[in-house]
Amino acid sequence: MIKHVGYVRAESWTEAVHMMAADQRVCRPLAGGTDLLALAHKGLVTWDLLVDISQVAELRVVAEESGMLRVGAAVTHATACEHPLIRNRIPLLASACRAIGSPQIRNRGTIGGNVGNAAACADAVPALVCLDASARVATPDGEYDVPIADLVCPSGRWRQLPWVLIREFSVPTPLPDTRMAHFKIGRRQAQAIARLSLAFLGRLDDDGRVAEARVVPGACTPSPQRFDRVEAVLLGAKVTEALAQEAGRVGSEQMIAITGRRWSTRYKSEAISALIERSIRLVFGLPEVM
Amino acid sequence: MVFTFYLNAQPVTVDVPPDITLLALLREHLGLTGTKCGCGVGECGACSIILDGEVVNSCLVLAPQVAGRSLLTIEGFSGVDGGPGDLQQAFIDAGAVQCGFCTPGMILAAAAVLAKHPHPTRREIADGLAGNLCRCTGYQQIIEAVQLAARRRTEVAEPSEQAVPDAESRTWKN
Repeated sequence: MIKHVGYVRAESWTEAVHMMAADQRVCRPLAGGTDLLALAHKGLVTWDLLVDISQVAELRVVAEESGMLRVGAAVTHATACEHPLIRNRIPLLASACRAIGSPQIRNRGTIGGNVGNAAACADAVPALVCLDASARVATPDGEYDVPIADLVCPSGRWRQLPWVLIREFSVPTPLPDTRMAHFKIGRRQAQAIARLSLAFLGRLDDDGRVAEARVVPGACTPSPQRFDRVEAVLLGAKVTEALAQEAGRVGSEQMIAITGRRWSTRYKSEAISALIERSIRLVFGLPEVM
Repeated sequence: MVFTFYLNAQPVTVDVPPDITLLALLREHLGLTGTKCGCGVGECGACSIILDGEVVNSCLVLAPQVAGRSLLTIEGFSGVDGGPGDLQQAFIDAGAVQCGFCTPGMILAAAAVLAKHPHPTRREIADGLAGNLCRCTGYQQIIEAVQLAARRRTEVAEPSEQAVPDAESRTWKN
């Protein structure tokens, strides 16, 4: 028996799905390669066939249609940092992608790859969860729309399938008064793995009360999720310094409730409170406390 | 597998295994050892090349991914007389080269900075070189070298009294 190890370049979405589905061997999609080839270098991943999806035009779309932003899976982080639609409508995603790696990594790495790799520390994932994004994916069973949080969940069914190919992300266009913040703590500014990050989105009503709040820490829980207890503290409340501190305290409690006490908890419990407080001050316009 | 791409403005056709990196193709199979292999996982920037105008780590590009595309490596940077190009000369003049291992990657990343920002701020240079590690210089001389190259290019573009080209006016070949 001769076993062929190969590389194919897909020219269209239909072709990419066909290539992934037609072969019973281990097929892996390749776009930027910034995770896959680094893992391969360390001997942590192998394949029989690589399906190069980086040149598929449908996967590089950035568009706005009837209240939804569409961002293709093969859009690079560098494009996400600079594209006017992403910068103006969902600056949270632009900031999160700006925090990734280096110019070299951002020029190659893609948003779909960041989600597909599904690291707990992935920078774009908390932003997408915070933006209520869903992904259009193809699987051996057909095509589906999946909330991002479900897609990256370690125990979810999507992670157990032989393959999942992400086509694009859909983000409901935020209301005009919505403000967003993104913070990342790493060991240095560039090329850093997030020790902790926070994606935050908020909006006040006409009376100055919190009408909308979404709080999604990164590198904090097994996969990024909304911190609903923090959001509950904020919703309907007038924004004060005391409220910001209360939200920070609740955020720390919720983190410990999810992860238990770990070696990093002493540090992260203080840091997550600080990031939540800082985001509230920034988004809702309180003076920064030094 | 067989594919063709443009390397430093020349068409090149290769027949190579489909699972090697662009870095291996350049160094091992084309003998272009100016591009360095540092970490192999995209953290050090020593293998930086310019792919269709964008600086990338060649260790994280699969060789067949460059089919039909244009590459610039450090070997494409020499001046018209075969000596150093203007950016390389600025690195020499600013004392930005010590052991030299990071230098080819630094030059490529710096070229990308200058292509985007002809008059870069220190911040823009530092951001543009954030993916390139240097353990010798402490980066200050490297940032100064990029500033020097930018200044010289401006002087060449807007000549004052001396209009005769000299070693410093060599331009980056693309």
